[in-house]
Amino acid sequence: MQKKKIKSNFEQDLLRLEEISRMLEEDNIELEEAIVLFDEGVKLSKSCLKTLRESELKITELKSQLEKFSQVEE
Amino acid sequence: MPNEIQILTVSELTKEIRKTLEENFQKVTVIGEISNFKAHVSGHWYFSLKDADAVINCTMWKGLNQYVFFTPQDGMKIVVNGSITVYPARGNYQLDIRSMKPSGLGELQEAFEKLKKKLDAEGLFDEQYKKPIPSFPQKIGIVTAIDCAAFKDMVSVAHRRFPLVELIIAPTRVQGIGAAESIVNSIKFLNEQKNIDVIIVGRGGGSIEDLWAFNEEKVSRAIFSSKIPIISGVGHEVDFTIADYVADLRAPTPSAAMEIATPDIREIHNFINEFVLISSRVINENLEESKEKLNSLTRSYGFRIPYELVKRKSQQIDITVSRILKNIEKSSIVYDKKISLLAKSLEAFDVKKTLRRGFVLVEQNSKFVTRANKFNKKQNARLKFYDGDVNTR
Repeated sequence: MQKKKIKSNFEQDLLRLEEISRMLEEDNIELEEAIVLFDEGVKLSKSCLKTLRESELKITELKSQLEKFSQVEE
Repeated sequence: MPNEIQILTVSELTKEIRKTLEENFQKVTVIGEISNFKAHVSGHWYFSLKDADAVINCTMWKGLNQYVFFTPQDGMKIVVNGSITVYPARGNYQLDIRSMKPSGLGELQEAFEKLKKKLDAEGLFDEQYKKPIPSFPQKIGIVTAIDCAAFKDMVSVAHRRFPLVELIIAPTRVQGIGAAESIVNSIKFLNEQKNIDVIIVGRGGGSIEDLWAFNEEKVSRAIFSSKIPIISGVGHEVDFTIADYVADLRAPTPSAAMEIATPDIREIHNFINEFVLISSRVINENLEESKEKLNSLTRSYGFRIPYELVKRKSQQIDITVSRILKNIEKSSIVYDKKISLLAKSLEAFDVKKTLRRGFVLVEQNSKFVTRANKFNKKQNARLKFYDGDVNTR
């Protein structure tokens, strides 16, 4: 099996947001709990939007390492 | 001399044969079917070419066979260019091949089908081996030629859809000399890098020869052995390669592969915005509901009891107060009567009544004179009768 990987904060935040959204839509949720969840959700969505706004595509070219690697392979 | 039979040594004869053959067959083009194909560890190829009635041994040296875009297989019909060489030590001749190609596209098609069948039988295409593609990759490995349009397309798709990602590029030869080896090498290399979530193996469109590296067995085996999930995106929509069948997911093009590998940032935006909207509504509804509940509770019978109690008590107080007031009133009437009685008895001492009986009050200097020795004979006096005053002189 693949080794367990720590999920990115962004993904974790999004998953949590989805979870909160699901919980909020449940019928039997208590008001106080709902407000706490909503508060958390709003904070999460703000930080996610900030991450999205500030994101920049990163490109790493591993040419020389690859060349070294192929020499070792041969 | 003419009668004398010339006796040749084996070497001399062979030398003659060699000269004849090598001079006359310096450049020949031959069509035939491959059999007994062997790629030696040294890199040289050894096989035979045959047709229905004849067979010839063939060699193709490492330096030349690396230019062949496909791996020859037994039964494949090919057209080769080369020359005849003779090996005196073994007493045989062979075809030294300089270049080869399939005799037609049908040959490649057949090779394709053959390999596909073989790998399918081995289970390399089985659904159970397909690894899931992560939905939020942090690092995407890319196996492609860095100077091709396909690469630029993939970068722009990643940039548009999910700029949070990091692309790790393994510049790879995807056609021509050593393409298959280069692809295999890049896949292995990316598997040794840290935290790569998914690998895209891709190249743009081209002829079947251009794409052939992706139909090579070693490429398929490398894809199958990869621990990291692989998306293939080779050629155009209509192009299918063996790599596509082995890959964990086949995308019709390199750009499509990147689309599959990346979530859409706009969808995430929408999701977040929707969350805020929907959740606000949910919270408001919940608040309204609670308010309503509270209101109906306060209007309930139970909540009215204390109010009723207060009302009843205040009524009691009212009754008591009015009783007290009534009592006070009663006693004041009694007092009134007593006072008028007292007043009457006081009346008995009234001066006027005495005057009425005939007594007179004497007044001098606005003072009553009550004793004879106080009376001043020289002064005027006022006599007060019951019926009026008299001034004396």
